[in-house]
Amino acid sequence: MTRDNSEQRRAIRRTALIMAGIAIAFYVGFILMGVLRA
Amino acid sequence: MTTAVADAHDTHEHHGPEKGIKRWLFTTNHKDIGTMYLVLSLIMFFVGGSMALIIRSELMTPGLQFVHPEFFNQMTTMHALIMVFGAVMPAFVGLANWMIPMMIGAPDMALPRMNNWSFWILPVAFGLLASTLFMPGGAPASGWTMYPPLVLQTGDAFPFLIFSIHLMGLSSIMGAINIIVTILNMRAPDMWLLKMPMFVWTWLITAYLLIAVMPVFAGAVTMLLTDQFFGTSFFLAAGGGDPVMFQHIFWFFGHPEVYIMILPAFGVVSEIIPTFSRKPLFGHDSMVYAASCIAFLSFIVWAHHMFTVGMPLSGQLFFMFATMLIAIPTGVKVFNWIATMWRGAMTFETPMLFSLGFVFLFTIGGFSGVMLAIAPADIQYHDSYFVVAHFHYVLVPGSIFALMAGTYYWLPKWTGHMYNETAGKLHFWMSTIFVNLTFFPMHFLGLAGMPRRIPDYSTQFADFNWMASVGAIGFGLSQLIFVYVLLTSKKGEKATDRVWEAPRGLEWTVPSPAPYHTFDTPPVKRVSEEAFE
Repeated sequence: MTRDNSEQRRAIRRTALIMAGIAIAFYVGFILMGVLRA
Repeated sequence: MTTAVADAHDTHEHHGPEKGIKRWLFTTNHKDIGTMYLVLSLIMFFVGGSMALIIRSELMTPGLQFVHPEFFNQMTTMHALIMVFGAVMPAFVGLANWMIPMMIGAPDMALPRMNNWSFWILPVAFGLLASTLFMPGGAPASGWTMYPPLVLQTGDAFPFLIFSIHLMGLSSIMGAINIIVTILNMRAPDMWLLKMPMFVWTWLITAYLLIAVMPVFAGAVTMLLTDQFFGTSFFLAAGGGDPVMFQHIFWFFGHPEVYIMILPAFGVVSEIIPTFSRKPLFGHDSMVYAASCIAFLSFIVWAHHMFTVGMPLSGQLFFMFATMLIAIPTGVKVFNWIATMWRGAMTFETPMLFSLGFVFLFTIGGFSGVMLAIAPADIQYHDSYFVVAHFHYVLVPGSIFALMAGTYYWLPKWTGHMYNETAGKLHFWMSTIFVNLTFFPMHFLGLAGMPRRIPDYSTQFADFNWMASVGAIGFGLSQLIFVYVLLTSKKGEKATDRVWEAPRGLEWTVPSPAPYHTFDTPPVKRVSEEAFE
């Protein structure tokens, strides 16, 4: 990437972390749901 | 011809690809990674297809011919897992890798190292899965749905199955994150969200679906793993667990998974039909809203796969009507494709033929889907060959035809040469004839009561099964034409930069073949005005 733009890099990191957080929340959340039902 | 291209040539820090195996192992280039995804998916398509031919050979005549029933079950399971996770999904990720950065005017994917990792996890996952064929007890044989307690009877293959699914899921999630981050943060300045091409839009929606449901699937199989090895009873009735709970969780993933495999196909077809109709896509924005609507509805219809398990009448009614609602946005899409063609100056090159085949034949799969949505009727159809006919119409002349269409459409941009058009058309017609010969009789078999996932059947089903098997062999052989087209794809005449007469989009503003690096400087509207409109 030659479009070296720190703001863009921050935005990329932020979006990636939010998406990863959502994925982890779904993974843990559904297992937790199974645990709470047991 | 455009600023973007000139910049690509003028930037001095550019280098070409590495030489030899290092290029493919360590590449972070979206075009290289796209190519690797597409090659892997083609290999998996033939591996999964070979398993389908074993299934159809066994079913060609009544009685047990070639394989043991246990191995037959392993083949149905592995065929499904390989086709879904190894062929269709990676193929669309390959198209996304190749095309999304070029379509939005980005230099590469936003997270290129993670992109490399996303790809290289996959061969490991499929290596693990394939290795189960040689293990005591054989490969998994419980169907791709992996319902407990049946799946817990799998032999040594069980932990390998679970681990390979975790790896596939990880790869998909990382790929989806990359696509979302790229689209949201790296679009060319003048490309507003509603100006994005439909392929980009459908992939954005698909990536959100992947992030929401792949972790759910991973959670479900993690719970299976702990039930098997760590003494939990999430799904074991004997320990107070609930096997039906697994079905709910699986289909909460499984139904959106269907749209993960079809929404990018909608995007591909929405690119191709306007090009060969020489008209802009009719109702672009309504297509975006329809795709979003389909994605939302896909989360609230999962239990239509489970009507026979038993549920309150209110539940049946909710899931039945919610499922039927999907026909509305899907109808909007089909209407818009037809309206795009209406009074267009249509020509019928191979990508257009496959797209038209998609519109006609996917719609047949859609209609049988509405039939299956009707709860009382589904009680009859459930677990019959009617269901097999339905989802194969959606996935083969649906997803796979769209993949073929997309490959023929963008192949000259990738290779810089026109493919063999005669061979492409022959591929289309042979595929279309044989795909119908394979799957249409399955509707009749299902309505007559033939159950799915069985290696033997009553003699009353013999004729239609013979037809389906002949069709499957013909369809398999037809795909060799596709391999021939790919192998000779650099021998055709030189492709122009625009390749087709009336394509729209930034990818057509770069040379053919596309340079190793494109759009290091964002394209500006004045040089690519037509592409943005």
